[in-house]
Amino acid sequence: MNLNELVVRLPDALFILVFLGMIIVFFFLGRKRTIRKFREIPAFAHLKRSVGLSVEAGTRVHFSLGRGGISGLTAGIGLVGLTLLDRIARATSSSDRPPVATSGEGTLAILSQDVLQSAYRNCNVEGQYEPDAGRLTGVTPFSYAAGAMAAIKDEQVSTNILLGNFGSEAALIVDAGEQSGGLIIGGTDNIATQAVLYAMAQEPLIGEEAYASGAYLGAGPAHIASLRAQDILRWVIAAIILLGALAKLVGLL
Amino acid sequence: MKSTFSILNVVIACSAGLVVLLGYFIPALANIREILLQWAVILAGFALLAGVINLLSVHFKKIGKGKIGGIYSLILILSFIAAVILFGVNGPDGSWSMLLFNSVSVPVESTLMALLTVVLAYAAIRSLRKGVSWYSILFLVTAILVLLGLAPIYGLGEIPALKELREWINGVPIVAGARGILIGVALGSIAAGLRILMGVDRPYSG
Repeated sequence: MNLNELVVRLPDALFILVFLGMIIVFFFLGRKRTIRKFREIPAFAHLKRSVGLSVEAGTRVHFSLGRGGISGLTAGIGLVGLTLLDRIARATSSSDRPPVATSGEGTLAILSQDVLQSAYRNCNVEGQYEPDAGRLTGVTPFSYAAGAMAAIKDEQVSTNILLGNFGSEAALIVDAGEQSGGLIIGGTDNIATQAVLYAMAQEPLIGEEAYASGAYLGAGPAHIASLRAQDILRWVIAAIILLGALAKLVGLL
Repeated sequence: MKSTFSILNVVIACSAGLVVLLGYFIPALANIREILLQWAVILAGFALLAGVINLLSVHFKKIGKGKIGGIYSLILILSFIAAVILFGVNGPDGSWSMLLFNSVSVPVESTLMALLTVVLAYAAIRSLRKGVSWYSILFLVTAILVLLGLAPIYGLGEIPALKELREWINGVPIVAGARGILIGVALGSIAAGLRILMGVDRPYSG
C-alpha cells in the first residue's frame, strides 16, 4: 500500500470515524430517554402483532435469511437478519413451536442455529432449542427457494419474514407464504428484488427500513443511536449531492 | 464458565473485525488482514459442509417420522449420495458429471425460472387487488411502459417515442431512486458492521 492509496482511503477512514463517533454520542445522550418517537413503519407494527398471534395459535414464524453470507458487500443485511432473528426467537420463547430459519449459505445457517440457541439460553428455555430450526435449504438460488417453500408448507407457518440478500427467487418464497395464508414481511439489499417484494409482500421494507428493525423492535439504545446517525448522515449526503448538482448547473464544477 | 466463554467470543470477534477494518487503512496490518480473510474463506467452506450435513439430517428425520412428503426427502438423500459418488469418481468436469448436471440441474432450475415469470406477472396484477393507491398505479404503469419500450408491438414494430420514454425512465427516475435506496442500504450496512465491532450486536454465542 503506497502513500497515494492511503491518501485515497483517508476520507473513508474519516467517514467511518465520524459515523462511529455519532453512534457513541447518540448512545450516551439517548440512554435515559424513555419515550422515543419514530416514523411509523407499518411492517414492524404488524410483525409484533403477528408474532404474538403465532405464539397464541401455536404456529411457527418462518425466517428466511437469504444467500448473502457474512463476508462481502451483502454481509450487512445478513447480519441485520440475524439480529432480527434473535429478537423473534426471544419473543416466541414461550411458544411450543419455535421459529424456523432457512438460509442459502453455510455460514448463515450455522449462525442462525447459534443465534436461536443463544436466544433460548438467555431466556432460560434452552430445552426448546431444536438444531434443525436453523437450516440450509439449498446452495443455488432456486434450490434454496424450493427448500424454503417446503419448510413453509410443512411447518405450520403463520408469519414469514424475509430479511437478507435475495435474487428474484424471493418471489417463489413469498408466493408459498401467501398460499399458507400468513403475514409476509420482506426486506433486502438487492434493488431488483425490492421491486419484486414491493409487488408481492404484504409488508415490504424499502431501502434502509430493513436496517432499522433493531431500533423498532426494542433491541436497545445502540440501535436507536445508530438509526439516528444513519438518518443525519443520509440528509448530509443528500444535501452534498444536491449542492454538487447545483454547482454543476451554474458551472462551478 | 458460560459467561467467560461468551466474553472470549466477543473479544475474538471484535478484535478480528477491528484488525480487518484497520488493515484497510494501516499498511502494517495489511498482512494480518489478508490472513484473517483467508481463514474466513476456509471457515466458510467448512460451514457449507456443516450446512449440507444439517440439510441431510433434517430430511433423515422427516423420513424417520413418516411425515407426508417423506418420499421427497428420500429422493433428495438418494440423489445426494448418487451425485457425490458420481462427481467423486468422475470429477466435476467429467462427461457423466456434466450429463447429470445438464440433464437434471439445468432443466429443474430453468423450470423454476419459468415458474417465476408467471408468478411475477400474476403478482403485478395482484398488487392492484391489495388496494389501489397512487404508488401501485405508478408501479404498474411504469412497468408496462418499460415493457412496451423494450419489446416491439405486434403489427406496429418498435415505436420510437416509447423507446425514448423507456430510456428516460431508466436513465432519470430509476437511477435517482436506485441511488437513493443504495445510499440508505450502504449506511445501514456500515451501521450494522459498527454495531458488531462495538459488541452491541452479537450474531454468535456472545
